[in-house]
Amino acid sequence: MSDIPGIHLSHFQALLLFALIISVAFGFLSRRRWPDRIKYILWSFMLFLLVGLGIGWAMYPFSR
Amino acid sequence: MTEQISDDPGRVSSPATSSAPVPPPQAPRARERESTALLIGLAGWLIPGLGHALQKMWGRAITIFATVAILVALGTGMRGNIFVSSGGDAFDTLGYIADLGTGCFYFLARNLEKTGPDVSHANGDYGTRFMATAGVLNLLAALHAFEAARGHKA
Repeated sequence: MSDIPGIHLSHFQALLLFALIISVAFGFLSRRRWPDRIKYILWSFMLFLLVGLGIGWAMYPFSR
Repeated sequence: MTEQISDDPGRVSSPATSSAPVPPPQAPRARERESTALLIGLAGWLIPGLGHALQKMWGRAITIFATVAILVALGTGMRGNIFVSSGGDAFDTLGYIADLGTGCFYFLARNLEKTGPDVSHANGDYGTRFMATAGVLNLLAALHAFEAARGHKA
């Protein structure tokens, strides 16, 4: 991996990837049944995105 | 308890009072279970997902292994900082503990990232967080496997 150029992601891509990976892991760890897992994953993913975007907009006035 | 009270102190009134206190028969089994659970927790930390695989929780085992592997691959690929034990301050120590949580992947990541970290850009900073998240998530999963092995609801 060190021989290839580093992975370059935009802020939003990094947020999406992080939210997706962690939501899936939390869903599998905390729920047993598949319908519950899927519901939890979707809910957690949406909350990650909402909170991330919310904090991003909250910091916007101080970004310049 | 059906122990009867006797006026004669030398008289044995019940089998329970005639011998020394005997530990409950479940005690050795419980101790064995605790030590097995501890080993399962350690296995889960060393190789992400192994703690669940040993308990035949295949879905969770595969998910944990894949999640930690992807996060570590992204963290090193984005040239995040992989902390070492000889850190200068408390944040370095905390980062080292978090990174070490990935178990064998920590040593793999140290060998993969030969060009060193680059946290002068946002990507490297994100990589550092991805790596730390992988470690903390694996510690959480190992604790989950430990609790499941102890028989607690998981």
